[in-house]
Amino acid sequence: MRRRELLALAGLVPLAAACGNDDDGAAENIQLQFMYWGSTFEQKAVEKMLKAFEQSNAGTKVKPLFTPDEYDVKLNTLVASGNVPDVGYVPMAMSYRLAEQGKLVNLFSYLDKYPQLASYLPDAYLWYGKDQLHGVATANEIELLWYSKAAVAEAGISAPPAQASSAWTWDQLVENAYKLTVDQSGKHPDESGFNAGQVRQFGISSSITYAAAWYGFLRSNGADFADPTGTKCLLDTPEAIEVFQNLQDLIYKHRVAPGPGQLAATGDDVPGTNILLKTKRVAMIVDGHWSLLDMNESKVDYGIGVLPKYDEPFTTSQVAGASAVFAGSKHVEEAIELFAFHIDPRYVDLYEQGLWMPQERKYYEDQAAIDSWTKNDSHPSEFRTAVVDYARDHGVPDLRGRLKNLSAINSDVLTPALQEIETGKRPAAAVLKEVAPKVTSRMQGWHHTQEL
Amino acid sequence: MAALSGQHRLSGQRRLERRWGLLMAVPAILGFAIFTAGPMVASLGLSLTDWQVGGAPSFVGTGNYTALADDELFWKSLSATTYYTLGAVPVSLIVAFVVAMLLNQRVRGLPVWRTIFYLPTLVPAIANVVLWIWIFNPDFGLLNSLLRQGGLPTGMWIYDENLAVPSLIVMSTWAFGNTMVIFLAGLQGVPQHLYEAVSVDGGGPWQRFRHVTVPMMTPTIFYNLVVGVIGTFQVFNQAYVMTEGGPNNATLFYVYYLFRKAFRESEMGYASALAWVLFMIIMIVTFLMFRNARRWVYYEMAGGR
Repeated sequence: MRRRELLALAGLVPLAAACGNDDDGAAENIQLQFMYWGSTFEQKAVEKMLKAFEQSNAGTKVKPLFTPDEYDVKLNTLVASGNVPDVGYVPMAMSYRLAEQGKLVNLFSYLDKYPQLASYLPDAYLWYGKDQLHGVATANEIELLWYSKAAVAEAGISAPPAQASSAWTWDQLVENAYKLTVDQSGKHPDESGFNAGQVRQFGISSSITYAAAWYGFLRSNGADFADPTGTKCLLDTPEAIEVFQNLQDLIYKHRVAPGPGQLAATGDDVPGTNILLKTKRVAMIVDGHWSLLDMNESKVDYGIGVLPKYDEPFTTSQVAGASAVFAGSKHVEEAIELFAFHIDPRYVDLYEQGLWMPQERKYYEDQAAIDSWTKNDSHPSEFRTAVVDYARDHGVPDLRGRLKNLSAINSDVLTPALQEIETGKRPAAAVLKEVAPKVTSRMQGWHHTQEL
Repeated sequence: MAALSGQHRLSGQRRLERRWGLLMAVPAILGFAIFTAGPMVASLGLSLTDWQVGGAPSFVGTGNYTALADDELFWKSLSATTYYTLGAVPVSLIVAFVVAMLLNQRVRGLPVWRTIFYLPTLVPAIANVVLWIWIFNPDFGLLNSLLRQGGLPTGMWIYDENLAVPSLIVMSTWAFGNTMVIFLAGLQGVPQHLYEAVSVDGGGPWQRFRHVTVPMMTPTIFYNLVVGVIGTFQVFNQAYVMTEGGPNNATLFYVYYLFRKAFRESEMGYASALAWVLFMIIMIVTFLMFRNARRWVYYEMAGGR
């Protein structure tokens, strides 16, 4: 091919692209991109939701950008190259930064147009300044105590309570975890000859490094992560130390919980809660409500209990990433339409399927509204008290949506320290007393909040 | 140009060869320019800014470089990487050398043995890493099972702050195939008459090894050493897939820390500075190795040094 021909061809490409853009402008053919993460079951469920949106908005096509791994890396790359999606999940570690950089649409002025967005649980809104709303937590996820019914029956214990008022104390949890922990020869940790290196079934698994898993315990014991100004770390208080020491003791003193690596993988890559319960590798697991979808899909014989309590029962709520609209969108109005649609239980069956918990207040208070998402096969009978009531009355919002600079605090100082507790080398007190001042030096206060 | 064409015009064939030669080299040159040289220049520029992904970069001069000095994690990652390099490079050199010596013997089924020893190198890096996650598994892993059967104490390996880097050093010996092949080629280049000379003088296998093999192999050892050090300083996969830099930052390798800063925390300016510091460190280390090489590397061609 001659050079001139090549040039001519090259010249055609932008021309064709420009034509394409013109078509986009017509109401006929609007193309949006929706970026999200999740399990493979979740992938299908979200794709179905996007199809439903296309059906009720003729002429609009939505391209799903399913990104199960390295979401932040991928999104950062898209932002750097100016190819952001229109709507999508944004990890909270990034969402505040992107909002401040003007990369996310301020949704505040749209709350009038979409009244359903205006009646959310207050903790769902993600503010980055006065009247500046960069998104909402995609769903109101809370932490629960999942258990294998078969394992509980075999041990002959009563199931973890499904009502906050009768939640187990920590001691009751430990006591029952002993009965649920069995080594290869059938021995429990309090029997002589128990082999901690060959455990067939662990009694309980509760993450030390994942803040949402322990934040409810912290609050239940009268402790907190930070002081009211959000500038001083309180993890070195006796109440906080007790919580972490108890978690460490589950592994090394009581030997009822798996230590690092014992679930046969590293970091975030441990097998899903559904697999661990189904195979009875672990009998009880502290994990988020979103597990429900995978539990049902993989037909686990599970039950749901509330978390053990210290004083007043608490669980972490709003354990989700943000959902947001990207400022680079060529079709902002349509993108906001999709945004409002993708978290509306009237149109989306992700709530009935058990992936999400709604954010609108009425779904926790109004009986008909509660039934609309919970009265079905994917929500077990204990769901009402163990999840709906528990979330409404005992939820404390996840730190990630509230504390500034938390992602840097986590990766630079907190996670390494919590790993030290997890590996059992030093008691919680020594580690936390050392790390608390380091966390304090990186704290920048709470994010803005306001009433609607 | 005029002088060149005036003095001796290239023959038709030479011209043809030159044109096609350049044309054929264009993909490689473009690849280097676009994917290596360009980004390097860009990162040097970025390292002088505070650019965060999504924001506008502003010039901070050497601010990122001076900030490194106060960055605890920078020093931690540098020491973890140095620790790993000091362990992994010698260990894999020795293993590869020993295996190459064995494979240089006249044994039956030699091609089969060579293939088997080279095989781990062909396993994709991530598959290799996942395999070793299982080997290191505290409960069911191969390593602990063997130790248990031998009545020896078991370990937590990559899940133990003190054992994590040594575990990864052990793992690094696994993929010695490339190094081994280079050693093997070197060994086959050792002149036979030198061995015969030692035998004539009454020397045994040790003398042959000590006075012929090792001196004649020093250029190959040196080459593998340099390549090994450069590669090992950039260790990433193990931290990324196996340990996520943990436990307690024990395996926070330099490039993994850089990756985290750049793509997780979006601190591109700072990460670029990290990259350039690593580049400088590797340059200096390589330069020192070359300087030092004069003392121990023997080149036959160089007229006895």
